[in-house]
Amino acid sequence: MVNFKWQTVVTAFACSSILFAQVSPDFELRLADLENKMRQIDPAFRPSIGTETLEARLSKLEGLFSAILSKPQPAVQMSALTAPVAQAVPAPAAPPPSANEETRLPVAGYMDFHVNKDRGDPFRPDFHRFVLLFGHSFSNRIKFWSELEVEHALVEGGEPKGEVALEQAYLDFLIKPYFNLRAGMLLTPVGITNERHEPPAFNGVERPFVETFIIPTTWRELGFGATGTFGKGFRYRAYLTSALDATRFSAEMGIAEGRTSGFDASFRNPAKVARLEFAGVRRLTLGTSIYSGHTGFRLEGLNPRVTIFDADGRYSWKRFDGRALFANTWISQAGQLNQNLRQTFGASPNLGSQMRGYYFEPAVHLMPTKLRHDLIFFTRYEKYNTQQEMPTGFRALPVFNRSAWVTGLTYKPHADVAIKFDYIFNRNASSVLKPVDGINLGIGWWF
Amino acid sequence: MKLIIIFFACAAAFGQPADDRKPDRIISIEAERFTYNPARITVNPGELIEFVLTSDDTGHGFRIPSAGIDVAIPARGRGEIRVRFQAPASGEIAFECSRPCGAGHNLMRGTILIKKASKKS
Repeated sequence: MVNFKWQTVVTAFACSSILFAQVSPDFELRLADLENKMRQIDPAFRPSIGTETLEARLSKLEGLFSAILSKPQPAVQMSALTAPVAQAVPAPAAPPPSANEETRLPVAGYMDFHVNKDRGDPFRPDFHRFVLLFGHSFSNRIKFWSELEVEHALVEGGEPKGEVALEQAYLDFLIKPYFNLRAGMLLTPVGITNERHEPPAFNGVERPFVETFIIPTTWRELGFGATGTFGKGFRYRAYLTSALDATRFSAEMGIAEGRTSGFDASFRNPAKVARLEFAGVRRLTLGTSIYSGHTGFRLEGLNPRVTIFDADGRYSWKRFDGRALFANTWISQAGQLNQNLRQTFGASPNLGSQMRGYYFEPAVHLMPTKLRHDLIFFTRYEKYNTQQEMPTGFRALPVFNRSAWVTGLTYKPHADVAIKFDYIFNRNASSVLKPVDGINLGIGWWF
Repeated sequence: MKLIIIFFACAAAFGQPADDRKPDRIISIEAERFTYNPARITVNPGELIEFVLTSDDTGHGFRIPSAGIDVAIPARGRGEIRVRFQAPASGEIAFECSRPCGAGHNLMRGTILIKKASKKS
């Protein structure tokens, strides 16, 4: 008798809960949603909306779930079942992305418009870079990335004007966090700016001198290699790439003009390059790179080796940013290379056996952090000498022992739009050929 | 009888939307070209995590392919996005940037490591 009463109470309670569920405004919608999800798991499942009661539909679902759970599941499906649906909840204080007024295009890119003026010269406008980036994921493990660039707005055959260049185009094969493969046209992982050259990512209208004359930027080569992270913030990239061309080195530009950029490149003696970075502390990145490669693929009986060492770091603390870089380049057989090039081209390039440069750049954000706009004041000191050491029998020219103070403002109405102004105090060690100062204005944007 | 009890339990569970639950842990992640900080996160099995995602530069994405999560992180100064994730029983789960952000985009990735459940004797 007691047992009967208990069953009656439970049944009545359950019925009332069914009744409650039936009158609940969104219960049926939830059930339909579950049925749709079941249909994704089992395409043969057909919900009986409108022909069966809610209880019958729920019973059917329960039966199916039990059948699925009773079967052994592959690991991937288990993780899908045990990793429930996530929710994206915009923060109450922040506008949701849909209200952010920003639309997304199917491509990304960046642009760079400059006006440069050296003292005594007129203003020179230049649409320096127009770059479009395309990426594609073939799967979660195979990804493509590319960057196509037009420089200086106009390209004409045979004219020394702009250039169209494939700046990057590679495939990533993601295997394990600590080991992935990459192949194609790669950015050489040396220094700060070469792999982070989007205009809003650095201060100053032009890229740092050290990362132009000592470390070429943008430096891309054909190659392949490995990338990965070690945990605790360490990550690496290690590539074999096409070689630099020593016949194009010069005392003024260092090794910069020796980049083949993938055109008529040589892989006979591939260069080795590796970079190790530590980014395990918030807003701190430390990096070091080593590059080593033979460069004589166009020379007879001579194959000089170029070795580059770089150490760099970036840090942000409250409103202050700082970045610094040191780089040294060695050219082996520099004396023989000078003689060989004199015999070939009629004049010695007077190359140094070592080139060295460093810079440091403190910056401060002047606007309150709550504002969407940002105004950054920065000063950068750079010292760079493309004839730091000379081979026996060759003399360094003081005009190539250069330094610069670059100071200016970067105004960002949006994190991806940078309006830049800077003034450059150029100096060198020559008492005869003095460089002139310059003013630069620029607008750069990323999308 | 058993069916009724199961049904009642299910009905009760459906009546509790997941987003009303208090997360077990809130973890802030800051994105910047081309890293997340922290990029390696250790959580307990079954923990409900709320990620608070901000960017120090451009807009990024936060995608956990195995959980069907893919949200856009607003650019610096444009707020934050919160996303909830319930840790499975075990494993290592990768997350990645899903919005092109520059040369290192493909490798802007991180890992959620699920701690092994301790066996109590």
